[in-house]
Amino acid sequence: MNNVPLLSVENLNVEFSTSDGVVHAVNDVSFSVHSGKTLGIVGESGSGKSVTASSILKLNTGITASTSGSILFNGKNILGIDDKAIRAIRGSEIAMIFQDPLSALNPYYTIGSQIIEAYKVHHKGVKKKEARKIALEMLHRVGIPNPEARIDEYPHQFSGGMRQRIVIATALINSPKLLIADEPTTALDVTVQAQILDLMKDIQRENGMAIILITHDLGVVAETCDDVAVMYGGRIVEKASVQELFVTPTHPYSFGLLGAVRSLDNSARGELQTIAGSPPSLLNLPSGCSFLPRCNYADASRQQCGSSVPSLQNVLPTNSLSACHLRAEALNVLKMKEPS
Amino acid sequence: MTTFIARRLLFALVLLAAVSLFTYLLFALLPTDPAALTCGKNCKPELIAANRVRLGYDKPIYEQYFQFVRGIFAGRTYGTGDIAFTCPAPSLGYSFNQHECVSTLIAKTFPVTAFLSLGAFILWMLLGVGTGTLAALHRGKWQDRLTSVITSIGVSLPTFYVGLLVLFSVVIWLQWLPFPHYASPTENLHDFLTAMILPWITLAVLSAASYTRITRNGVLEAMNEDFVRFGVAKGLKNRTVIRKYVLRAALIPIVTIAGLDFAALLGGAIVTESVFSLPGMGRLAIRSVTDSDLPVLVGTTLVAAVFIVMANTIVDIIYGILDPRVRLK
Amino acid sequence: MKRRIIGLLGLALSASLIASACGSDSSSSPDTAATNDTLAIPGTDSSTPTAGGTIHILSQLEQVTHLDPQRNYTGSDLAFVGSTMQRALTSYAYAPGSAGSQLVGDLATDTGTPTEGGKVWSFTLRGGATYEDGSEVTCADIAYGTSRVFATDIIVDGPTYAISYLDIPQDAEGNSNYPGPYTATADQQALFDKAVSCSEDGKTITFTLSRIVADFNYTVTLLAFSPVPKAKDTGEKYDMAPVSSGPYKIESYEPGKSLVLVRNENWSKASDPIRNAYADSFVYEFALDPAVIDERLMADAGDDQYAVGDGGLQPENLQTVFTDDRFKDRRQDDYDPYVSFTAFNVKTVSCVEVRRAVYLGLDREALRTAGGGPYTGDFADGFVKPALADDYAPSKLPEGLNTDGTPNIEAAKAALAEAKTKCPDVYAKATVEGLKFFHPDTPIWQKLVSIWIESLKAVGIVIKPTAVEPSKYYPTVQNDETDYDISRGAWGPDWPNASTMIPELFLTTGGFNLTRNGDDPAYKQFETDTKAALNELDRKAQGKKWQALNQFLVDQLWSIPGTFTKAQDLWGSKVGNAYRWSSSGSFLFGELYVKQ
Repeated sequence: MNNVPLLSVENLNVEFSTSDGVVHAVNDVSFSVHSGKTLGIVGESGSGKSVTASSILKLNTGITASTSGSILFNGKNILGIDDKAIRAIRGSEIAMIFQDPLSALNPYYTIGSQIIEAYKVHHKGVKKKEARKIALEMLHRVGIPNPEARIDEYPHQFSGGMRQRIVIATALINSPKLLIADEPTTALDVTVQAQILDLMKDIQRENGMAIILITHDLGVVAETCDDVAVMYGGRIVEKASVQELFVTPTHPYSFGLLGAVRSLDNSARGELQTIAGSPPSLLNLPSGCSFLPRCNYADASRQQCGSSVPSLQNVLPTNSLSACHLRAEALNVLKMKEPS
Repeated sequence: MTTFIARRLLFALVLLAAVSLFTYLLFALLPTDPAALTCGKNCKPELIAANRVRLGYDKPIYEQYFQFVRGIFAGRTYGTGDIAFTCPAPSLGYSFNQHECVSTLIAKTFPVTAFLSLGAFILWMLLGVGTGTLAALHRGKWQDRLTSVITSIGVSLPTFYVGLLVLFSVVIWLQWLPFPHYASPTENLHDFLTAMILPWITLAVLSAASYTRITRNGVLEAMNEDFVRFGVAKGLKNRTVIRKYVLRAALIPIVTIAGLDFAALLGGAIVTESVFSLPGMGRLAIRSVTDSDLPVLVGTTLVAAVFIVMANTIVDIIYGILDPRVRLK
Repeated sequence: MKRRIIGLLGLALSASLIASACGSDSSSSPDTAATNDTLAIPGTDSSTPTAGGTIHILSQLEQVTHLDPQRNYTGSDLAFVGSTMQRALTSYAYAPGSAGSQLVGDLATDTGTPTEGGKVWSFTLRGGATYEDGSEVTCADIAYGTSRVFATDIIVDGPTYAISYLDIPQDAEGNSNYPGPYTATADQQALFDKAVSCSEDGKTITFTLSRIVADFNYTVTLLAFSPVPKAKDTGEKYDMAPVSSGPYKIESYEPGKSLVLVRNENWSKASDPIRNAYADSFVYEFALDPAVIDERLMADAGDDQYAVGDGGLQPENLQTVFTDDRFKDRRQDDYDPYVSFTAFNVKTVSCVEVRRAVYLGLDREALRTAGGGPYTGDFADGFVKPALADDYAPSKLPEGLNTDGTPNIEAAKAALAEAKTKCPDVYAKATVEGLKFFHPDTPIWQKLVSIWIESLKAVGIVIKPTAVEPSKYYPTVQNDETDYDISRGAWGPDWPNASTMIPELFLTTGGFNLTRNGDDPAYKQFETDTKAALNELDRKAQGKKWQALNQFLVDQLWSIPGTFTKAQDLWGSKVGNAYRWSSSGSFLFGELYVKQ
């Protein structure tokens, strides 16, 4: 393991021009991932986490998106490279899987053909028989029972959990160095969810790939991640290791999130109901901290909160970074939560 | 898969039987008196009564229907003595207006309608689906906007108007083409093509307009599907994604709609056939309405209904082939 | 030529389309420009006809309604079939103008010899006439053709004068004891053979009628009396492939596409003094859109220069055709054979003052405009059209009737006031209860009947409309049980003699009697006078009688005269002899020639 991150995102900004105006989906986002490690990106819907993840592989299709900043992969900036180059990376060096396994697979083709397709894109000239063998191996690896019989079946003939395994098989067929997983278990029920997460960790242990895991579920984060970035209003508001985040959250939003999480032993997931208010509009970003309206800790006299956007700064004595003007005092104010 | 097809076919057969009965009943229960219709202008009540007996209209309806069905399998004879004649199986009746067995009339006119429909179908699918896909892929840009304007016009123009305009300008004023005189392609290919090209274009252009829109919407929707994004994430070329993922998803409903539209057209593109004087089934049907020629009316309605039933069945089967999810029990 | 249904259709069709020609000065004929240029009848010119070429007939119909001579009835079809493929005992001269109503012999040497006052008619056959296969046309063939009319279950749509005139016994209901040649027993056939017999040498045919028919020689111009070779009779199917005795024969017949006639090699001009057969062939093109027909004729390009239409012009094109000089040598606008009228139920509207009030107060101009304007016809002054030159004389119309068709409310009210004293119950019916007007249920009639209601409201007469499904209209109003006060119709003479108008429309035995006038006190005299006219063998004298009867009808107003309907035509620039034949009201198709 070296100290050079595999992926380093710096000052990423993504804007969408819509008929209502410009949507600032991602604002000045920076983070990095190392091989063999898992970074979790947490936030509510609309926080910009999915857009951030999609930007890496230039998957923000459709409505005009303008992206700036840099995305360094293995030291090379892949933001703004041409289509041919990004296609070479997609599915081979970096793979991405999405939330809903029920709709992630093309319903009109057999699962085998889809896995083989993913393989053949980056291994031109390989024989069909060869590719099929590799696909079978992969299916076996992800835990599909009786793969020889089922490889020619269609996605709708599998359960949700099985399909996500197939999705993973498809994504990992070319042994990518980085796997981006956007809410991979949200659509699955809890027992299956655990299996999928275990599978991902297993494969990670095997081939040392890095994982970026996007989720709103703190339980999943606690299970699988090494480091966490918390996003709010298109910005990262806290970056910390998973232990530090859970023990000593340094941003009022993180604290609110964790306060909302019930004990991990419960089967309930974290709902963000206890933080009053709603996420900010990404159309008109406020001039100050976007969390201000919902912040329980902001002092009205803290004009700074309203007038300038806080940047990520280290909060001693932890190693966490937090984007909050109050951080010094906040540590005193925020109640620490004991791990149970 | 085979059970799927078999079940569909069986259902179709049952449906056909029901349709034939329903069509027959519909006309049998009309207030017009078929015996009076064949009687001509100098009709007296006694003559109508005699006609009724001669043609079998005095029998109860179920017996008439039975004769009708029997005629389909075994043929039917009219008149007695030297001047008797037979309509061989499948006999759908005899038209006294046109002095010809209904089946013969339909057999003569159907190929014309079939050629018209097929040619137009191919043209409008190519034009409509092609343009619609293009518009979707260039959404918001000038190709899309231009297409939108043109299709709006195309969708609102009536066939009659466009057909006449095309005929007047190309044939009568500019004389680029001779006046269409239909001939079967085996008889006279040149006449066949000159007769069909304008109706094909008229029909195709007007239908293409709505298919462009349907395709555009379908493609745009398909492009938003998760699996499309997943396909892109695999590193596939854009063209491949469009072909195997987007179009594959978007076209299935379009093909099924098109199949049904095609079948409806087989029942007779009445307006096009009238404007371009094509001797097709549509004209045969409309003529039977104005002439109150009941046997032909029943025959053409039945044939049109058969096409719809068949088309539905075929479309169902095709859908099953194209979309594996549909094959579930 | 029984054109009742066609008349109704023609009226409805032309009336149902609104003409772009607004009803301008109704008294001027739209074709004055043309007629002032040349005094010639439209369609004729001084050039000599040339032989050769192909004439095209453009039609919106799917086929010629009937080719079977015994089933032929419409004027246009009779002119077409009669001038190309089916000869008859007598015919009319193939000439323009009123000369075209002149009776001449065709298969017969002359116009026949009546005996017993007109109860028995004999015709000497010219001989030498041949069918398309070369065999000779015999007297027996003419008898056989005539007998087919009696097979009323198969031979439908044709005129049935043979059944009503020939001296063959009938049963109690009026059906002939002779069922036609297909099913007749020997005894039954004998009944017919007695009424229609051929001489030993086959040169003379004799018809024995059940009563005097003074113009039977006109009756036999109908193709219902044309020869059919028995061996070649195919019954129902003969309508598709009849045997030709004329100068042309069928080369191909595809309903919905075309009918092609080519020369009958076996026709001899020597045996046929009437027909000239200039063109080499005829192509009848079917199933054309009427707008397309007009456009082609107007454009006059290519083969369309040799084309005529068989259905007149579309109203929206009339203005263009008749004002643009481009068309001045190839158009015509003149009378067709029909007269339209409105019939009173004389039983219930038994008061002539009330009927006169309606006539005076009706806005006929508005009706005509709504129906399509002056191109549809002129206001009739009776029931006999000027084309029947022998039988027509301008009639004296009721005092106060406006010739421009506008209502004369004063005069109408005066007539109504008279009625109040003379016939108070009919007066009450007309003004309070309302007169029940039965009309066909069509969009155009909705318009027309509202004009009736409005214009007569100003007079004080109430009209109560009842719409009848069009196909059931005549069966309804001809049914004695139906209680109506006003109905309407149109009629054309079956041959150029008012004997097929006045008796048909006003005798209780007439086929089209809508007026139920049998009880009117004036009827007895009318019936006597009409019967006298029918039996008058001197044509000129007969004509005078019809004129007097026509005036009588105009005085009685059992029906109100409507319009003398008109038709308009356009033809290709290289078509000769495109005149309107007065006997049929259509082109004389067989005489058309290609100008070289």
